[in-house]
Amino acid sequence: MSKEAQMRAAINQKLIEMGERERLKELLRAKLVECGWRDQLKAHCKDVIREKGLEHVTVEDLVTEITPKGRALVPDSVKKELLQRIRAFLAQHSAL
Amino acid sequence: MKMEEMALSSLDNSKMEGIAQDILSELVEDACLGLCFEVHRAVKQGYFFLDETDQESMKEYEIVDQPGVDIFGQVYNQWKNKECVCPNCSRSIAASRFAPHLEKCLGMGRNSSRIASRRIASGNNTNKSESDQEDNDDVNDNDWSYGAEKKAKKRKTDKNSNSPRRSKSLKHKNGESTHRTPKRFPLPIIHFCLYQSRQCSCLPLPNNRILCLR
Repeated sequence: MSKEAQMRAAINQKLIEMGERERLKELLRAKLVECGWRDQLKAHCKDVIREKGLEHVTVEDLVTEITPKGRALVPDSVKKELLQRIRAFLAQHSAL
Repeated sequence: MKMEEMALSSLDNSKMEGIAQDILSELVEDACLGLCFEVHRAVKQGYFFLDETDQESMKEYEIVDQPGVDIFGQVYNQWKNKECVCPNCSRSIAASRFAPHLEKCLGMGRNSSRIASRRIASGNNTNKSESDQEDNDDVNDNDWSYGAEKKAKKRKTDKNSNSPRRSKSLKHKNGESTHRTPKRFPLPIIHFCLYQSRQCSCLPLPNNRILCLR
């Protein structure tokens, strides 16, 4: 394993161990609901489902249709806040 | 662990930034995936489109966002100064006071039937007996309408005496009405009136006859 990959694995491990990943996830979820991201995506889902037909929709379809849009729709302020927290976490644990 | 810590400490800023971005996009993807699962389940269980109706009614109940109207597109406060006509005593009463008035007027509740019938009796007798002025003051139903309320602002304490709860304590203060009212009039009764061919309140007279008050 390369050094880079090793490092990433270590960071991920730490994120999960400390419970920080769960906290970040919850924060992101709350923020996204708050700013209407969820509703926007749900509306998009409706379009996709109508197009494909109610019976023929699969999770894979939804994921491939929704994920790019979901990524694009995340507001900058939310991104910024999350990044801030992640950076703080990294700084704290690389300083040890 | 030692080695990992060392690896972390050797991070330079650009690498750190890259890792932070990756973590963020991972989180966002997680959120998307969660939503997809949720929607998929809703579709397969058949409750995803439950809140949808046909376009026509969607349009009809669309939320109106304009100044001066509420979300249904109706004028705000339009009922505030409406007056309703009481079906029992046919006075017009401010809409906000209609319910309490009707309760008393129809004689529901504990104390109110007696008070209401007394009010009707004395209200109808206003022009007949002048000595009744004092008594009328706290029974006068003009207080129920908006116009009267504005004029009668200064008699606020009097106005409150309309409520059945206060009328008891008022009687004691206002010694005159204590003994007068019950003796003066026989209580009117509601019955089928031959004069008006409908239910109305009339005074029973001692000689077994009935006097219609209208």
